[in-house]
Amino acid sequence: MGSFLSYSVAVLVSLALHLGLLAVLFVGWEPETSRVMIQPQFIEAKLVELAPKKTVAPRKPKVDVAKQKREAKKRRDKQRRDKLAAQKKAEDKKREQERIAALSEKKRLEELRLAEEQRRRDEQAAAEEAERKRIETEFAEAVAAEQAEINAQEDERVANSYRQLIQQRLSQNWSRPPSARLGMETLIRIRLVPTGRIVGVTILTSSGDTAFDRSVEQAALKVEQFVELQGMKPDLFERKFRQVDVAFSPEDLRL
Amino acid sequence: MSIWHLISNASVLVQLVMGILFVASIMSWIMIVQRGIFLNAAQRGFRQFEDAFWSGVDLNKLYGELTQEAKEHGGRDGVENVFRAGFREFNRLAQTDKADPDAIMEGTDRAMRVALSREDEKLNISLPFLASVASVSPYIGLFGTVWGIMNSFRGLAMVQQATLATVAPGISEALIATAMGLFAAIPALIAYNRYAAIVETMNSSYETFAEEFSSILHRQIRAN
Repeated sequence: MGSFLSYSVAVLVSLALHLGLLAVLFVGWEPETSRVMIQPQFIEAKLVELAPKKTVAPRKPKVDVAKQKREAKKRRDKQRRDKLAAQKKAEDKKREQERIAALSEKKRLEELRLAEEQRRRDEQAAAEEAERKRIETEFAEAVAAEQAEINAQEDERVANSYRQLIQQRLSQNWSRPPSARLGMETLIRIRLVPTGRIVGVTILTSSGDTAFDRSVEQAALKVEQFVELQGMKPDLFERKFRQVDVAFSPEDLRL
Repeated sequence: MSIWHLISNASVLVQLVMGILFVASIMSWIMIVQRGIFLNAAQRGFRQFEDAFWSGVDLNKLYGELTQEAKEHGGRDGVENVFRAGFREFNRLAQTDKADPDAIMEGTDRAMRVALSREDEKLNISLPFLASVASVSPYIGLFGTVWGIMNSFRGLAMVQQATLATVAPGISEALIATAMGLFAAIPALIAYNRYAAIVETMNSSYETFAEEFSSILHRQIRAN
């Protein structure tokens, strides 16, 4: 009886203890794990072909073109109205001529004035035409400039991704000599061909330590070829990757 | 990456090891608590009995009370049984006329020795189990760990790029087995050491009491 009681108490205590332990593990484990499992962000070497976005740029000109059209129409309307008015005037004039044929002098004057007016109108039309052309060319220029800027940005982004790739590849292949110290820096110039092959490495500024310089040179030679560069646009390559200057400096050392 | 995730992803053998260790831990805690209660009661009972015995009460009356109590509540544990066995044997032998004092004392001592060894057995129940858990469960856990790490390294041999992330879960999961082994073993070991010491003390106390009681009876039989 007494032993039965003590056994049941013991079973209860033991089960409670273990269930409590499981509960603690279940509840208390998560946050620590999530903290532990933060991984360094790997540099994605995948090259995404960045096609220039055509959504933003054309929309703006479309709006402007419509406006332009509206303006042109307005101008045309005005011209038409002017023309009509002029015709009416001419008819009036004719009637007047017929009515007052005797007043040839007046008529002549009138004709002169008419000619003058016509000339003025032509001038005005020409000026308007010139103005419109000017605006159109300005607009085209602006669009072109904008497009160029967008292209330049895209190019820069692509170039950056390639630069990152080059940097990553070089640092993978770089084995620093034991004499490497914090603050050393070697600047090299890598000459490339469009296949991505390295055809020349020259040291622009030495770190002062020959072993270090040699290791940098070796890193570049070890890479041999950046295969991914083959997919680049030729003009971008010519502009930015014919020669690449790379600075090597150990930043994670303690000394 | 919760601990449940790790456990459920472990290989069957490692899971088996974990299960064994978990059950062992539960069992050993049952023993720990039960033995704790039992030994505590035994110590308290011994002190109470000694107080009653040395208070100068009549031994016949004490025997009568204890027998009455034993009849009502079932057999009680502890030194009372030694006393009752010795006293009963002594009275029985003393009632037969032709018995000589030495034979009476010999019979009494024998009866008390038997009662003592019974009490010793009662005190020692499940202590061997605690000892086994304490000494074996670290090895079981270690086995699980070694097996798990073996597997995770074998998996590592198959991947091209070995990062820490490919082995870490395997090792972590394997180490759970060792942790569980230690979790089961440490309380069992502590409890075993403590309870073994208590049992030894109790046994020597019982023996001392038996000797003292024997000497009292001896005096009584010589006086007659």
